[in-house]
Amino acid sequence: MMHCTMDDLLALRAGEASVWARGHVETCATCRAELDALYQRVAQLKALPVLRPPRDRWPVVRDAVRAGRARRRRTWGAWSLAAAAALAALLLLRPSGNGLHAELTQAKQQSATLEDQLQRYDLRGRVLTGRAAALMAELEDRIAVIDGDLTRRGRGTTDAPARDAELVKLWQQRVDLMRELVNVRVTRARYVGL
Amino acid sequence: MTVALAVPDVLVARAQAGDEEALGALYRAFETPVYNLVRRMLRNAEDAEDVLQETFLEVVRSIRQYRGDGHLWGWIRRIAATKALMRIRRDQIRAADSLDEDPPGRPATHVAANLDLERAFEHLSATSRSVVWLHDVEGYTHEEIAELMGKSVSFSKSQLARAHARLRRVLGAGGQA
Repeated sequence: MMHCTMDDLLALRAGEASVWARGHVETCATCRAELDALYQRVAQLKALPVLRPPRDRWPVVRDAVRAGRARRRRTWGAWSLAAAAALAALLLLRPSGNGLHAELTQAKQQSATLEDQLQRYDLRGRVLTGRAAALMAELEDRIAVIDGDLTRRGRGTTDAPARDAELVKLWQQRVDLMRELVNVRVTRARYVGL
Repeated sequence: MTVALAVPDVLVARAQAGDEEALGALYRAFETPVYNLVRRMLRNAEDAEDVLQETFLEVVRSIRQYRGDGHLWGWIRRIAATKALMRIRRDQIRAADSLDEDPPGRPATHVAANLDLERAFEHLSATSRSVVWLHDVEGYTHEEIAELMGKSVSFSKSQLARAHARLRRVLGAGGQA
């Protein structure tokens, strides 16, 4: 007599079995017992004890988080310095359009000041409300988008005043966002009390 | 293992903002389910610990990309399963591990008929145990397993059938199925 294969039994369990397998299991005690054993095995698998990690790996993960954060700060700081230097060079080489350049310089300086402020304000040991954390994440994302725009436009080969005007606008937007970010960090984070 | 972990949205938002304390809390909430999953998939406890660590490094790196669509555990579990499968593939390449062989030094003839399920499970290949665990315990479909493994649906189905046939044999169930 032909019996169900394991494929048939699994298909029966999944409700996808052939007409033959469905009919056969109704009449064959052996295959019905095999199907029951399969159900029991799966139930036993689900009931196996939970295995717990023997060692705490969080310190390694946490150190990696800290290292990544420090690296990003260094990169951000270096990028700001490089951008400021490039701007200064641009101003020296282009004596015309002083009004626009002055605005650009001012926005850059404000941004750098806020950057310093932000880096001095360490979040470790402080807690944030969920709303503040979400707001900070959003602000940081928007700043990153502007930084990307600034990098792209900085690479542009055209020398039109229109480009400078766009740069001024972007830097001013960046300053506004940085100001908001500093505000959120300073006013909405509080010490855990440890 | 059934995981019914409800993580507050506020904790996720804080973690996404880089709050170290919140990231630590997420680690504590999910370290055991992640370890249990990858330990069941992998043969080696040290590999499972490494994958646990790799999983959370990835979680920390990518948490901002989690948009809240679906349970956080589902998102973390997928990362963990992918990392474990990568480890299995790497080991298979290194050891030319065939899919349904006993681990080295554990020939089938030495397997006692009355081994309990836990020990019988240990005798499956890493690929087979992954399929069994993901399908039967974690509730993945064959389509999802196939996608995770980069294989076909029929591969997943045949691995499951072979694994159950082997478990049945090792457990000494008898019968002709």
